[in-house]
Amino acid sequence: MNTVLKAIVLNLLIFFSFNNLSFANEDDVEPTIRYDEIYDPLEPINRAILGFNFFIDDIAIRPVIKTYKFIAPDPVEKGVSNFFGNLKEPIRAISFIFQGEFLKSLNSAGRFTVNTITSLGTFDLASRVGMPKNETDIGLTLAKGGISSGPYLVLPILGPSNLRDFSGDIVEFVIDPVSNNIPNREYVSIGDGLNSRAEVDEEIDLIRGSSSDRYEMLKSIYYQNRNSQIEEDYVQNLPTPKIYIE
Amino acid sequence: MKYFIIAFLFFFQLSHAFEEEISNWFNQESIKFLEIMNNADGENNENYEEYVNFVENNFAVKSIAYGLIPESISLKSNKSDLYDYEISFQNYLTKTIYNLSNNTTSGEIELIDIVLNDNVYQINSKIKEGRNSINLYWKVASINSSFKILDVIVENTSYFVTKKSEFSKILRKNKGDLRKLIEELNKI
Repeated sequence: MNTVLKAIVLNLLIFFSFNNLSFANEDDVEPTIRYDEIYDPLEPINRAILGFNFFIDDIAIRPVIKTYKFIAPDPVEKGVSNFFGNLKEPIRAISFIFQGEFLKSLNSAGRFTVNTITSLGTFDLASRVGMPKNETDIGLTLAKGGISSGPYLVLPILGPSNLRDFSGDIVEFVIDPVSNNIPNREYVSIGDGLNSRAEVDEEIDLIRGSSSDRYEMLKSIYYQNRNSQIEEDYVQNLPTPKIYIE
Repeated sequence: MKYFIIAFLFFFQLSHAFEEEISNWFNQESIKFLEIMNNADGENNENYEEYVNFVENNFAVKSIAYGLIPESISLKSNKSDLYDYEISFQNYLTKTIYNLSNNTTSGEIELIDIVLNDNVYQINSKIKEGRNSINLYWKVASINSSFKILDVIVENTSYFVTKKSEFSKILRKNKGDLRKLIEELNKI
């Protein structure tokens, strides 16, 4: 399996290098993006996949999530979320090394050690003893290295992404020291996916009910969230409407 | 030098007074907003009128509406279409805020700080409920001597940016026909 994935990664990187990969200066790393013109050449396919995803969500995933959220008390939900979050700390530690953020890397490694030893990751003791959680991943590492996002993608079941972030996910899958050493990894991946879906359940309900075009809305939200993790002063740099006398 | 110091103190005091004024406005209106949210009675729409008034009084509806469409479209459209667009957008904005509020549990809004940038105040706040909190940013401008909201950013998702991409898509799909956008807005 790993050999196949490595081949996919290699192919993707070759694709990147000929088509979209551009190593750049710090100054021109993905300038504040025009959100109404996100590079989306695969839109018809993406829309079809999004329709499929919502269909699968309606008939299978959503009922499971709603039942889980109804049955599980909040502390249990929090514990499950912490457990899956903790499994990602080693990959965060690796990502921070590539970003040159050595203190954050040590912090992630420390968090994994403390939380695993004390509660198998279900309780975030590390945050309470001064080791705050810092989000990152390989996709963000690539972005900070100046690699452009490539085309927007909607992946079956997995949802919104882009070529850069998807490549990052594959690299994570291949090199993740924790998941690679867990027996029955598929179950952990499914559990992680369901947990991620449960965490955004309310947001997905909102998208269903408050958008004239949920494809565009999801795409915009995805890019805004990713860019907020890449750019400093993100909120301040967001476009603001010109003022008219009301 | 003396005049420079006097001028500096004058402007410092003026900006300080403005900051106090906008803090007061924010605290007052956020409490009002939470009250409206708490008055929601589930499936009945009895407090919808309160949302209508809230949006009318506190949002820079015209600025947001025209900011969401390309300038070329507002220039080529006739007055009647633009007027219809303003009205439809105001209804749409009210409905989206109403849907959002009815799906969200109300907590307590805490003002963190206010930053002034290019005549737009960025109010950083948090909605707190128990141990959980959500970052909420408001972009506010002083228009006609009252404060008006230009954008609301929940965590990192801006209402203005999200709607701009949606509206642009609708307009591109319909060759810049503003009437089609109005039809879409009225469907919500």
